[in-house]
Amino acid sequence: MLVGQLLSAGVELTLNQLLQLDPDCKPRLKKLAGKQLQVSINELPWSLLFIFSEQIDVSALPATNEDQSSEAQAESSADCHITLSLSTLGELSDSSKISQLIQQGKLDLDGDINVAQGFSNLMKELDIDWEEQLSKYTGDVVAHQTFSSVKAFFNTAQQEVEKLADQLSTHLTQPDAVAVSEIEVADFCDQVNTLRSASDRLEARIDQLIALQQDDS
Amino acid sequence: MSVSEHHAGTDTSHEQAPESSEKTHFGFQQVDKNAKASMVAEVFQSVAAKYDIMNDVMSMGIHRLWKRFTIDCSGARAGHKVLDLAGGTGDLTAKFSRIVGDSGEVVLADINDAMLRVGRDKLRDKGIVSNVKYVQANAEALPFPDNSFDIITIAFGLRNVTDKDKALKSMYRVLKPGGRLLVLEFSKPTSDALNKVYDAYSFHLLPKIGELVAKDGDSYKYLAESIRMHPEQDVLKEMMQDAGFEQVTYHNLTGGIVALHRGFKF
Ligand SMILES: C[S@@+](CC[C@H](N)C(=O)[O-])C[C@H]1O[C@@H](n2cnc3c(N)ncnc32)[C@H](O)[C@@H]1O
Repeated sequence: MLVGQLLSAGVELTLNQLLQLDPDCKPRLKKLAGKQLQVSINELPWSLLFIFSEQIDVSALPATNEDQSSEAQAESSADCHITLSLSTLGELSDSSKISQLIQQGKLDLDGDINVAQGFSNLMKELDIDWEEQLSKYTGDVVAHQTFSSVKAFFNTAQQEVEKLADQLSTHLTQPDAVAVSEIEVADFCDQVNTLRSASDRLEARIDQLIALQQDDS
Repeated sequence: MSVSEHHAGTDTSHEQAPESSEKTHFGFQQVDKNAKASMVAEVFQSVAAKYDIMNDVMSMGIHRLWKRFTIDCSGARAGHKVLDLAGGTGDLTAKFSRIVGDSGEVVLADINDAMLRVGRDKLRDKGIVSNVKYVQANAEALPFPDNSFDIITIAFGLRNVTDKDKALKSMYRVLKPGGRLLVLEFSKPTSDALNKVYDAYSFHLLPKIGELVAKDGDSYKYLAESIRMHPEQDVLKEMMQDAGFEQVTYHNLTGGIVALHRGFKF
């Protein structure tokens, strides 16, 4: 019964913490102040109601079911109500896609589309300086070094993943690609190894930084 | 600053002071009806400063979810006028204040000025100022005109009120037609097993925790006893109906340890 409240509390906490990390989002949030956005996801037994003020409050409302529809309908006070399924949720991050999704019947939007777009922009344009956030806990030098290491790791990882994806898609488009050659397997293993040593390096680097910090303090 | 403070003065209705020499319960003790209010006051006077910490410790944080559930059932929206009765340290008020916005208003009312002060300081620290009013008032004789509020909540407060029927009638009077009352209160666990565990917890463990954290075992003994004396789910439902509320329903939360009653005025 309280699962919805637990969920909405978690979403609320996360959202507001993210917002706090980007001081420049205040004006965008202000534009939404006083508005409410309801998001119903077909697979879930509640809808989430996002209430905008100087922060975002999130309510979990029981999802509409037929026998109480009239009461629940009257209950919804949202300026904008979006209904969609879990699989469409990912595509929402791009607010320009909203009308396309509506046309495809993947998303139902009731009310003021500006509220939905405002929320989407608010989240999309979050510009969080992770390095600075980290430096609050670790001091500037450590933050900078950790940050470059992490960035380097993600760059390597991304390159490897892209290579893999590339190969995989070539395979799938070639009709006789079912049999994978030995060389390809070896190549794949190599790539995995590269990735692994990149992550090992990152780990070692972080250990080193932690040691460094402990020496400092 | 637009925060104002009122005191329960002359009531606009015909509600009078409780008659003397009748008995009522204070926890498990029988006390004079007139004495209960001041004894309850003493309890909350003594717990005010540590109240929030104790709430978290005693309920293991779950009280936050019970309160969220209450707000989720309130249908509050921008522009609404909300009365957070027996609002104490203002947990519900904080959220309502953001929901109703500048065009709405939240009144945090409590009989105890120590609790009100803690509440006001806390809300000010959170930057919540402009649309909240603080009113010292007794739930039995609310100092507001008829049909004033869209929503009234009373969370963990009704059980401390001496004359609950009178209080419910008073709430009905100040509620606008179409408005709703939400009563969040300890209730009767729905399973026997849970009931036993809960008894053991509240009568043996709770006063000890109270002694440990707030150095005030007696107040928490009162708390446990008052919970047990509070009308169970169906009785409270009937009391609300008797006071005039319609479409009264309740939800058991956490196995009935707590119940949320909801009723409308039409
Ligand atoms: C357990 S606290 C609940 C506070 C808050 N609503 C919460 O949930 O955290 C009970 C409150 O009821 C108040 N109270 C007790 N009797 C009252 C009455 N007759 N009228 C108004 N408030 C009362 C007490 O002063 C105390 O602040």
